[in-house]
Amino acid sequence: MKTTKFYRLSAVLLLVAIIGCAEVAKVGTEIGYQQGLITKEMKEGIVKTAEQAEAASRPMTAEEEYFLGRAVGAEILSRYSLYRNERLTRYINEIGNVVALSSDRPVTYSGYHFAILDTDEANAFACPGGTILVTRGMLQRTKNEDELAAVLAHEVGHVNHKDGVNSIQQARWIQVIATIGTTAAKTLSKGELDKLTDLFTGSVGDVVKTIVANGYSRDQELAADQSALVFLHRAGYDPFALTSYLGRLAKEQTGGASAGFFSTHPGMDKRLAASQAYLDQQNWAPVDRTARDRRFKQYF
Amino acid sequence: MKKASLFIILIILATFGVAVAAQYKVITKDAPVRKDKRFFAPVVTRIPYGATVEDQGRQGDWLRVTYRGKQGWIHIGAVQERKVQLLRAGKAREATQEEVALAGKGFTPEVEKAYREKNPRLKYGEVDEIESLRVDDDSLLAFIRAGNLNEPGGGR
Repeated sequence: MKTTKFYRLSAVLLLVAIIGCAEVAKVGTEIGYQQGLITKEMKEGIVKTAEQAEAASRPMTAEEEYFLGRAVGAEILSRYSLYRNERLTRYINEIGNVVALSSDRPVTYSGYHFAILDTDEANAFACPGGTILVTRGMLQRTKNEDELAAVLAHEVGHVNHKDGVNSIQQARWIQVIATIGTTAAKTLSKGELDKLTDLFTGSVGDVVKTIVANGYSRDQELAADQSALVFLHRAGYDPFALTSYLGRLAKEQTGGASAGFFSTHPGMDKRLAASQAYLDQQNWAPVDRTARDRRFKQYF
Repeated sequence: MKKASLFIILIILATFGVAVAAQYKVITKDAPVRKDKRFFAPVVTRIPYGATVEDQGRQGDWLRVTYRGKQGWIHIGAVQERKVQLLRAGKAREATQEEVALAGKGFTPEVEKAYREKNPRLKYGEVDEIESLRVDDDSLLAFIRAGNLNEPGGGR
C-alpha cells in the first residue's frame, strides 16, 4: 500500500516539476521528504528537473531587453549616421510616443525613443526595449502625419511582440540562464562575467542579423501590420494610412528601388492585401486629418 | 493514509494557496506613480527599479499603490507580480529565477560595460543621446489635442 502511494505521489511531484513550477516542486518535495514518502535523492532529482524546466522557460526581463536593445542600437549606429535634426526628431518622438502609449505594451524599462538615420535608403529598425530607428529615406516617402505614424506603429508592433528578442537562439538563452545560476549572489566571478559577455555578444548578433540582414518572418510582419492598424485606430490616426503607404512602397518594389527595406521587408503585396482585408472587417469611422496634415507640412 | 491525505492537501495549498498577499516589484527604470489612473495624470512620486509595492486594488491596467507615504496609481506594465510563499514564512529560501534577474545578474550594466570595452567601435554615445530626448507629459498632451488625436488609455 505504502509503495503504491509512494509512486502515485512521486508521479504527481514529477508532473509538477515537468510543468515547470520549481517553487511548488521545492515545497512539495520537502513535505514529502519530511513525511518519509520520498527519499532525499528523489527530492533532489525532482527539484532539479523543475529548475531546469523553469530555467529554460524564463523570459528575458524588461531590464535585460533594454541592455540588449542599447547594444543593437549601438551596432546599427556604427553602420548608419545619426541624422541630427532636432525639430524633426522631436516631431517623430511625439508621434511615436502617442502610438506607443496606445499600444498593447505602452510601458518598457526606459520608454520608447525614436531617431532618424541619415540615408536615402528606406528602412526602419525596432531595437528591443523600444528604441526605434527610421531612415530619412523612409520618412521622405510619407505623404502625411498619419502615414508617418503608420511607419512608427509597425515598428512599435515589433517591440510589442518582442520579435527582436525572440530571434535569439534558444540554446544561447538557456546558457545565459545556466550561467546566472539559481542563487542571488551579489557579484559575478570573472569567469561568469566573461561567459555572460560572450553570450550577450552572441545575442546582439542574433538580433542584428535578423533586423538588419535577414528580416523578420512573413508572419511577424503581418502581425506587426495588424497591431499597427489597431494602435493607429486607438490613437485617433487614420489606419488606412498604413495601406496607402504600403501601396506606394509596393509600387516602388516593383520598380526595383530601395533594396535595403525590401530585403528585410519582403512581400509588400501580401502585406497590403492582408491589411486591407483586416480593415474591411472593421467598422471604424473615418477620421478627420486636417489639423495633422497642416502640421506635417511644417516639417516636410 | 492520514499522512498521504495531509500531503495531498499541502500540495494543493502549495499550488493554489501561495498568492494570498500580492506584492509587485517595479521592473522599469523609474516608474511614475500618478494621481489618477491615466497616463497624463500628475506624477505623485517615482519608484526606483527593484522596489516592492503592495497591491491596494487594481482597476483595468492600473494598480493602486503607496510608496513612502504617497498614494497613487502605477501602470501594470511597470510592475511584475511576486508571489509570496506563505508556507515558507520565516525560512530563508533560494531565490527564484526572476528574482535573480531582478537582483541584477542577467544582461546588466556590468555586462554592458564589459561588452563596450571589447567593442569600442560601437556608438553607445549616440544611443545615450537618443535616450536623453524625452517629450514631457504636458507637451505630448498638447500635441495630442492640437492634432485632434485621442488621449492614450482613455476609456479602454
